[in-house]
Amino acid sequence: MNISYLQLVYLFGTIFCILGIVLCIRTARTRFGKLGDAPPVSLWITRLPAESAAKLTAFAALILMPAGAIFIANYHTFEGVHEVSGCASCHLMLPMANDLQDSNSGTLAARHFKNKWIAENQCYHCHSDYGFGGNLEAKMTGYRHLARYTTHTYKEPLMARVRFDNKNCLNCHQGTQKFEAVPSHHTAWARLVSNQMICLNCHGQAHPTSLQRTPGSPDYARLTEPLE
Amino acid sequence: MRLLRWESWCAIIAFLMTLAFVLFPGPYEMAIFTFLAQPLFAIAAASYLVKVFADLRTRKVV
Repeated sequence: MNISYLQLVYLFGTIFCILGIVLCIRTARTRFGKLGDAPPVSLWITRLPAESAAKLTAFAALILMPAGAIFIANYHTFEGVHEVSGCASCHLMLPMANDLQDSNSGTLAARHFKNKWIAENQCYHCHSDYGFGGNLEAKMTGYRHLARYTTHTYKEPLMARVRFDNKNCLNCHQGTQKFEAVPSHHTAWARLVSNQMICLNCHGQAHPTSLQRTPGSPDYARLTEPLE
Repeated sequence: MRLLRWESWCAIIAFLMTLAFVLFPGPYEMAIFTFLAQPLFAIAAASYLVKVFADLRTRKVV
């Protein structure tokens, strides 16, 4: 049986949250000072004084269950952003996601998608060094993007602040027969590695242009249609 | 130990927000979990630990 990460997140996330809520309700109703005379509580193979059992319940409700729920939800955050649907859940990313899946598009991303050069998690494969998929600093930037998106403090078209790192392309292409057979890759190698020259200089537009992504442009409505 | 009523309610609200994000993932649910639920959990846990420490001090354990 093949269990996906999403099923695990649903299962454990629901268990931690529901159990946490039940234990919290119990803790909220407990009067710790008046448990001295209460009968002992039976816990599977042992019996505990009522006060100890209530304290253990409070510890589980306020420390253990929240820790579990936070771990699962953060795992969900960082794993979910690997999928194209995760990126496309922000409408700002819809032009990129729609164009990616458009078989008539000639952008670099669409060509990678329709030719299955990248089998899955297509966004993440090329953009793994920034946003929620990147290192700690990149993740902090991801949180800033999230805050700006949900508070509507952004302007369209979206402009990348960071320079695209050629390493994202070279991770797959470097060393392949096709790549090595192109003489210009060798002559421009130093500039490619140092990012003085980007791959897109020769290989064309990666995504729809900023003009196409500007509200009111002829392509905007088509590019921002919700994904099927 | 003193009552843990408001800490429990804080945690319940945070659990509900987390559950919403786990079951219906989206940018708004993610933002609510990240910027509201996690701090609520942290506040509840911090207050709980302060009360536990105070309880241990009254019993002269620490």
